Amino acid sequence: MPDVDVLVVGAGPAGAVAAWQAKQAAPELDVVLLERDRAVGAPVRCAEGVGDAGLREFANPDGADWVSRRITDVILEAPDDTQVVLANSGVGWILDRTRFDAFLAAQAAAEGAAVLVGAEATAMARNGGDRWHVRVKQRGTEEVYRARVVIGADGVETMVGRWAGLDTRVPARDMESCAQYVLQGIDFNPDAIYLQFSTAIAPGGYAWIFPKGVGVANVGLGLVALKTDGRNAREYLDAWIARRFPAGARTGYTVGGVIVHTTIKKSYTDGVLIAGDAAHMINPLSGGGINNAMKAGRLAGCTAAAAIREGDTSERRLAAYHKAWMDLLGEDHLKYYRLKQGLEHMDDAFLNSLARSVNKVAPNKRTLGRVLTHAMIRHPQLIPVVARFFV
Amino acid sequence: MRRVMPDTIAVVDLAVCDRCGLCLPLCPPEAIHLELNNLTVDEATCTGCEKCIAPCPVGALAMVAYA
Repeated sequence: MPDVDVLVVGAGPAGAVAAWQAKQAAPELDVVLLERDRAVGAPVRCAEGVGDAGLREFANPDGADWVSRRITDVILEAPDDTQVVLANSGVGWILDRTRFDAFLAAQAAAEGAAVLVGAEATAMARNGGDRWHVRVKQRGTEEVYRARVVIGADGVETMVGRWAGLDTRVPARDMESCAQYVLQGIDFNPDAIYLQFSTAIAPGGYAWIFPKGVGVANVGLGLVALKTDGRNAREYLDAWIARRFPAGARTGYTVGGVIVHTTIKKSYTDGVLIAGDAAHMINPLSGGGINNAMKAGRLAGCTAAAAIREGDTSERRLAAYHKAWMDLLGEDHLKYYRLKQGLEHMDDAFLNSLARSVNKVAPNKRTLGRVLTHAMIRHPQLIPVVARFFV
Repeated sequence: MRRVMPDTIAVVDLAVCDRCGLCLPLCPPEAIHLELNNLTVDEATCTGCEKCIAPCPVGALAMVAYA
């Protein structure tokens, strides 16, 4: 029965950074990082897009082999295919998650954390003591790890949260059902990400083209099932691709859920921290979660390390993690969530007219502020929506 | 604890299911489990609310009569 200080469940961005940062903050601790799948980073369940500034807090993308594509432009598309081009709107990256996640796990390993692949936590109990007993299955054998702190970074389906008695459930209106293909041999601007908004194409979400290279992209969509006509996400995606890229070769396929809610009310309890998608730490407007997960992982790893050094891994001590997250991004996500709720009522006719009026702003003057101001003057019904964002 | 026995409960078609885990946080009584690459719906816990059915991206969940 191995005794460890920090047991991290899930080697995605949240878990890998948590293990890395915990070990860096307190090198004397035993830190173990578990990955259920046989390879860190695979299968990819992600559109792989990430902003530059957040990424650079953890890793340098310049020339990195875990980058697929550097992005400079954003192309927003209305339901009738009217494009709003935001050229040079800031740098972003499309990652190769199979390599990126492995890179992060390697950082944890370089600090001295043990990385176990094909190792799945299957149960967890406190048993009255001051350590969590976590059952781990690996290669057909089973071991019970005794951990001072368990960091649950086990994604949308988090079981650690459940086992710890935390509420990680989400209402159906705040779940994006997503499907995505890797399409090859298609024609688009490889320096731009494309986002198309339409209740007919992706009700309650958007469809995307995220370039992996010239002629190859992650092409997918997310939708809210409550708003559909009865088809599932894959059927909506098939219809969109049949119209946009009928000749594209489908060389990859994935599905998954993106929670567009706000951070769970309580992301900690005695000896447990929940981070990343598992704690709903996702931007509810964009659905982006990679940088958020890494930032949460850093907070979780550092909080766990400090708490163990102090000899106090109680709920009271670990509450500092939740507060730090809410101060860093959680409160912002509450604002984005209110904005999302306001935007939900825009229909396709309105979006078409919005795109046309925004295009009257000269391309070189299309800053977000100008576009927003222009949109509000032409479409006063947006004012209460935008106002909600700032209250 | 279930108060009323449901007429129908959710079942998963494992040949279609992609094990993405989207349905787990949607389940109010937490009746869905994902372990060792196997998704299961606990029929004793499922209340038949159907919240998991439509959001499945591949249509792997369906309601069946509860025997």
